[in-house]
Amino acid sequence: MTQPQNDTNQLPDELIENLIRSLEHTEDKECTCDEVYAVVDQYAEAEFRGEDVQRLMPLIKQHMELCHNCCEEYEALLDILEKNDPA
Amino acid sequence: MNARTNESWLEDLRTTGPVRDAALDDLHAIVSKGLPYALSRWLSPDDPLFTPLVEEVSQETLLRVLDQLDTFEGRSMFTTWVHKIAIRIALTELRRKRWQDSSLDELVDNEENPAPERLMADPQAGPETSTERADMLTRIRRILDEELTEKQRQALVLLGLQDLPMEEAARIMKTNRNALYKLLHDARLRLKRRLAAEDLNAQEVLSAFESR
Ligand SMILES: [Zn+2]
Repeated sequence: MTQPQNDTNQLPDELIENLIRSLEHTEDKECTCDEVYAVVDQYAEAEFRGEDVQRLMPLIKQHMELCHNCCEEYEALLDILEKNDPA
Repeated sequence: MNARTNESWLEDLRTTGPVRDAALDDLHAIVSKGLPYALSRWLSPDDPLFTPLVEEVSQETLLRVLDQLDTFEGRSMFTTWVHKIAIRIALTELRRKRWQDSSLDELVDNEENPAPERLMADPQAGPETSTERADMLTRIRRILDEELTEKQRQALVLLGLQDLPMEEAARIMKTNRNALYKLLHDARLRLKRRLAAEDLNAQEVLSAFESR
């Protein structure tokens, strides 16, 4: 299998734009996907209870802004909490 | 089904015999009731794959829960922790299914293949492209050339251009999702620092991009 040519000239404008946009959310210290996974149940419950997750778990919130896959998993978990709720 | 506390879930699942079997049955019911709520964004409940997937994932979840029981720290309800495990299994499977039809070789080798045409537009081409935008793009492309490693570029192409899920991109790059996130974080940090060193910030760059 030959390696893809990854010359930056091939990076389309839109990708570059998205990359630059993601810099606005970029912090020196960020959680990794594993760190998010470890607490996403706690995070989803806090959100479900209407707590201020941005203040309580800012690093997790920040990761969700940047990581589409973790965000999907979190939203799926929130779906279950909300739709399972008999109220 | 009577509601268990976190402690009684752990206790029942750690014992043997009918008590454990009953707890596993209850857990299976909870997972297979919850999972469809999470999957409906991905797959229609009418899809023939839906019910078998729920069953397959529920079974796999129980095995993983038993295997990882000692790692439960009690920071959430036990059932929320179990749903989290079920979602990771289900979405990993669905994301893989979504990609298994596309030939891996083609995906990696044919750089033109998956990119929609509008993404491949030449920055210099359109008459509507302003000089400011073109100059900024050229400058940023040079910075990317200088700052990004080969691996970081590959990750950006796989995730950003070919829109692969993290796990799939990680598999192609012979790494894992967590390491891939770190690789991209390093790339973003490098770029952010380089822009700062050049007295630029993301906002300025973006507004130059927007001037058409
Ligand atoms: Zn993540």
